[in-house]
Amino acid sequence: MKKPLAAWRRIPRAGRACLLIAFVNAAVWGVVVPPFQAPDEIAHFGYAQYLAQTGKAPSQGPGAQYSPQEQAALENMYFFEVIGHPGERGVLTRTEDSALRAALVGKNPLGEGGVSSVTNQPPLYYALEAIPYWLSPSHEILNRLVFMRLLSALLSACTVLVVFMFLRELLPGSPWAWTVGALVVAFQPMVDFIAAGVQGDNLLYLASALTFLLLLRAYRRGLTMRRAVAIGAVVAVGTLAKLTFIALLPGIALALLLLAWRAMPAGRAQALRALGTAVAIAAVPVLIYGLLNLTLWHRGTITAGGVAGATNSSLPGGGSISPRETLDYTWELYLPRLWFMHHAYFTSYPLIAIWLNESVGHFGWLDYNFPAWVYQDAHKIFYVLAVLALIGVVRARAKVRPLLPIFACFAVMAVGLLGAIGYAGIRYQLNNGTQFVQARYLFPLLVFYGLLMVMAARGVGRRWAPALGGALVVLAMVHGLFAETLTISRYYG
Amino acid sequence: MGVRLVLVVALALGAGALALDMSGSAQRLAGTDHTAPISFVATLHAGQELCQPGMVLPGEVQSVQVLVGTYGPPVPELTDRFVEAGGRVLAAGRLPAGAKQGNVTIPISHVHGGSASGTLCIAVKGGKTTVLGGNAFTAGPASEQVAGVPRPGRITVVYLRPGRESWWRLLPTLSERFGLGKATFFGDWTLAAAALALLGVWIATARLLWRELS
Repeated sequence: MKKPLAAWRRIPRAGRACLLIAFVNAAVWGVVVPPFQAPDEIAHFGYAQYLAQTGKAPSQGPGAQYSPQEQAALENMYFFEVIGHPGERGVLTRTEDSALRAALVGKNPLGEGGVSSVTNQPPLYYALEAIPYWLSPSHEILNRLVFMRLLSALLSACTVLVVFMFLRELLPGSPWAWTVGALVVAFQPMVDFIAAGVQGDNLLYLASALTFLLLLRAYRRGLTMRRAVAIGAVVAVGTLAKLTFIALLPGIALALLLLAWRAMPAGRAQALRALGTAVAIAAVPVLIYGLLNLTLWHRGTITAGGVAGATNSSLPGGGSISPRETLDYTWELYLPRLWFMHHAYFTSYPLIAIWLNESVGHFGWLDYNFPAWVYQDAHKIFYVLAVLALIGVVRARAKVRPLLPIFACFAVMAVGLLGAIGYAGIRYQLNNGTQFVQARYLFPLLVFYGLLMVMAARGVGRRWAPALGGALVVLAMVHGLFAETLTISRYYG
Repeated sequence: MGVRLVLVVALALGAGALALDMSGSAQRLAGTDHTAPISFVATLHAGQELCQPGMVLPGEVQSVQVLVGTYGPPVPELTDRFVEAGGRVLAAGRLPAGAKQGNVTIPISHVHGGSASGTLCIAVKGGKTTVLGGNAFTAGPASEQVAGVPRPGRITVVYLRPGRESWWRLLPTLSERFGLGKATFFGDWTLAAAALALLGVWIATARLLWRELS
């Protein structure tokens, strides 16, 4: 008990304040967003409930996706009528509320573990969610959901703290920057919308942010055995949180090799032992998970179909997706289409339409937005901030230069994520006819969002940087507040 | 000094923008029948009445909005009535002929107050053919019924509150709605508590910025 307390005290007071602010803010979001209206929350809750009830990951058979209890809640909250229809509302009257309560009485919380959009994911987040599920003093599904959402809020708040620590490691001489970077993430409304719900991405974001922090710390301070253990553990957590994390692994491997190489002069054997320890600690839990899938849980393949589902190149009408098409799609997803790319995969430029606009706000089950002028104004603000951030980086070039090798590894991690989104995206889009990609898929890179804002503030020069940083935080607060009022008008207005 | 000035101005602008936004008036929703308008699902001829069971009439309702198509001509006279299980008419209203096809608002006077369950009936008093928008639904006891015969579909009904209201004026209603369809320990107090918690977050953030950035 003394060690965690000492570790807590070692965190600067501002960092602890950022954690608490982020937690309460995300918890408020969790109350504002109606049950199951966070992205894919019905499926995430279904997985967590099945695991909590049975102690096993879903077998993904042909049975029902949700427990009779969850199904009754969804139907009597008019869930399927509300999603995708911004004019529709859920329970608005006491008569409807009474009908919902009556429908939930005696409903079985044990489902059949049928296949859903998330059942092929690893179980770590859902296993953690089993704790508040059972700690809830009431077994009523909506009461349990409140406590489960609080865990998501806590994970998100921890991500904010990690952003703070990352910036502290990167910019030790600018304490204002740590707070500014952490708080712009804390008030980012799309981050909060995910944090509001039972959503496995919350653990992915935390594990990704921690990975960047630990790699940076090991780069600056050396790869000790303790740091190697921490890196291995966080990589295991990330891989067991969501398979998306696999996309970061090549960059992480490169970073570990770099760290071991830098540690060689101090002792070759020690460096190799640290490297081996990190790899072993990362790999063993993942291998155990794979074995459980194949044996006790009967989930078909070592990844329970998670990798195969995202990488299947066959098309329903015959034929398959070529590597060239995948490359074209991935390029067009982030950059302007070039003259030799004959297939236009997007009707509008994704950098603006997806990555920027959806980061500003595309809420619910992608069914409500801010008014159009908000996005137009946000573009202008973003362009100014991007230029300022560039100036900030140029100004900090002397400090950045020694960090280039580890940032090159971070770049490989980021490219891995962008590539994985593109690889899975074209397969989903051509197989289902609808767009797969959402801005939140980039949130494993949240530490760099915090860094971007800090660099933008530094772009105006040392004297005014804290002032602009403060203004950016207030802008994020106002942005978040209006996102909440928009959400209230969407569901209750 | 510069940091503090920027913080004060930015926070004041944010609070002002919120106050302004909350002051905007519009006609507000009282409820819906949870049916999305996907296609025209009911055809009525002059003198026919459509009745839809399993409806909830919200308490503070002044009008009912339905999607009406007439293939061009003005909408004929429409009447509505809300009947509870015992057969008592809880609310009724009438829209004179002449409205333009599309989303049509029919007044309804709800004299008994409070939300209630029952059947909503809409009658067409003239015209050739009038169609109503809604969604597919298996014909049966829970589907729409035209002239007493179950039809495959349910029409979309939106209940509207009286007059135009700002968000400030709607706050008591929002507070009530905010506590519904959630955990059993939530209630009318939850929105106010969430707002207070958020205010606390803002104050804590302002203090933190004040200290760390100055």
